Amino acid sequence: MDIWQQLLGGFATAGTPINLLWSLVGCALGTAVGVLPGIGPATAVAMLLPITAKVDATASMIFFAGIYYGAMYGGSTTSILLNTPGETASMVTAMEGNKMAKSGRAGAALATAAIGSFVAGTIATVFVTLFAPLVANYAVKLGPPEYFCLMLLALTTVSAVLGQSTLRGLTSLFIGLAAGLVGMDQITGQARYTGGVPELLDGVEIVLVAVGLFAVAEALHAVLFEGRVEESRNRMGLVSMSALDWRRSIPAWLRGTAIGAPFGCIPAGGTEIPTFLSYATEKKLATGDALAEFGTTGAIEGVAGPEAANNATVTTALIPLLTLGIPVSNTTAVLLGAFQNYGIQPGPQLFSSSAALVWALIASLYIGNVMLLVLNLPLVGLWVKLLKVPRPQLYAGILVFATVGAYGMRQSAFDLVLLYAIGVLGLVMRRFSFPTAPVVVGMILGPLAEAQMRNALSIGEGNWLVFVQRPMSLAILLVIAAVLLLPRLLKNRAARLKS
Amino acid sequence: MITQRHSPARQTFLGAAVAVVGLAIGWGATSISSEAGYAGVGPNFLPWVVALALVCCGIGLIRAARAGGYADMDDLTTPAAGPYWRGFAWMSAGLLLNALLITHIGFIVSCALCFACAARGLRGAEQQTARGWAVTLRDAFSGVAISAPVFWLFTQFLAISLPALTQSGWL
Repeated sequence: MDIWQQLLGGFATAGTPINLLWSLVGCALGTAVGVLPGIGPATAVAMLLPITAKVDATASMIFFAGIYYGAMYGGSTTSILLNTPGETASMVTAMEGNKMAKSGRAGAALATAAIGSFVAGTIATVFVTLFAPLVANYAVKLGPPEYFCLMLLALTTVSAVLGQSTLRGLTSLFIGLAAGLVGMDQITGQARYTGGVPELLDGVEIVLVAVGLFAVAEALHAVLFEGRVEESRNRMGLVSMSALDWRRSIPAWLRGTAIGAPFGCIPAGGTEIPTFLSYATEKKLATGDALAEFGTTGAIEGVAGPEAANNATVTTALIPLLTLGIPVSNTTAVLLGAFQNYGIQPGPQLFSSSAALVWALIASLYIGNVMLLVLNLPLVGLWVKLLKVPRPQLYAGILVFATVGAYGMRQSAFDLVLLYAIGVLGLVMRRFSFPTAPVVVGMILGPLAEAQMRNALSIGEGNWLVFVQRPMSLAILLVIAAVLLLPRLLKNRAARLKS
Repeated sequence: MITQRHSPARQTFLGAAVAVVGLAIGWGATSISSEAGYAGVGPNFLPWVVALALVCCGIGLIRAARAGGYADMDDLTTPAAGPYWRGFAWMSAGLLLNALLITHIGFIVSCALCFACAARGLRGAEQQTARGWAVTLRDAFSGVAISAPVFWLFTQFLAISLPALTQSGWL
């Protein structure tokens, strides 16, 4: 019953007119950045981080959360109507959704994506409501060794397991860790790699890295390598579903939610795996006409399932963020940065020390999902107009917003030069297929992991065995070894079986 | 658009650059105190780990490049005429001029300039015929139309300071 009381309190806070307005603006902005190619939720939140200096914590977290999951709704619109995914999470939606749109069923695809996102988002929010406090209660018992191992797990999966190449992923991770080294050492307060520049004592601003790597690099890539992009836009139709569409969508939504929700909770990063898994499941379960539609005229299950999985994952990804302080994706890493700007360190204590904030945030997820359903069903035509913005003006506009974010944070023109340099770095990384997520996650999580590691070693009086003597940390270390080794062993075995 | 082959020579160079960054971090780590306290490792521990790891990654990348190139790469698509460096120069100029001028001519004008330069580069990249100075001037006005409301929203409504041209704070 305690949860119920707290949640009601959260609704009271999130339901004040000003917070409702923040939520609405966040959801609308999130939908817009989801629809627009070239800008995603991580970039949008990073660009707006300067507002943390003036806006109170609850309002701005409600606002950022709106952008975060609003982008997931908007992304599907672009991938259905244009063959380029608005954000990476909708890559799978683009496969079937685009085929549906080509055969004149864009309306049904948009409807199942929006309603599926709502269903999955709401179920996943219930999941967060029920389980986050439990995880927090349990996490209080974890000590520095366990925390360090959990963070190591998050860093390992984001860099070495996801992505095309372990070597390139690790290189990105260590670049991020190197950037995180700059500034004051958390334990002794000693300055590292500041070169005597006082601004660098606080470290490299996350805004610069996120906006430089994503927005500026994207614009530079577009001008240098993309030339003229031929985009074909599909016609939209009435946004509604027939009785048969409903019958086919509902089970797919639920299965997608069931697949997506657990993936958000574990530090396995990103939405790629659950959306692909959901797509594969739907394809496998399809029979008769539905099976024939997959890959040809577009099957509605192939949109409904992955869209639901995607939203469920991003929602439950808030559990490790809020209860452990561990981000598992770009956007959650930037959200962690937003908390840090307020001097709040997410973790198990958050549910007691900032209970009002956390529950208002969770309540705003329920409210935001309803807002997004309205924004994306009756008003979808409005967002589609955004697709008409020509690319030169779109990217040039993104650069203006990048300036606001980078300059607004510290009022330093030097930061704008740094932003450009990081943009060039991002361009090189993209050209050589280096993933960028490990840089951002490494930079945010690195200093936290280092502090936990040194605290753990202090407990063990300098003995490294402290990490294997405690059952929980030993278990996590074994999981890390498994995620690193299993894929290789399976690959080798498959190769041996072939030969 | 054509798909290019990855160049092992460039990949080797990149690997070397990563290793050099590692060495630089190692050099920096020599001046960080090793005072360890109870932990047995001090503030210089992680810098050494990162330095060593980057050197190893760099060597690994060089070896991969020498052995025929990095594995599992994305396709390298490039316009048929090659990378459009002229557009890149326009966009870079826009961004760097913005950094140089923002405190002198104010956020709105500086960002409008950046917008116009970037849009000019991108129009060139798309081989649009409409890219004379009249179009760039129109882009500059579009830039003002975007940056002015942003400026007012941030400075007047959210009280975040951005540089203004005049004392009034509206321009």
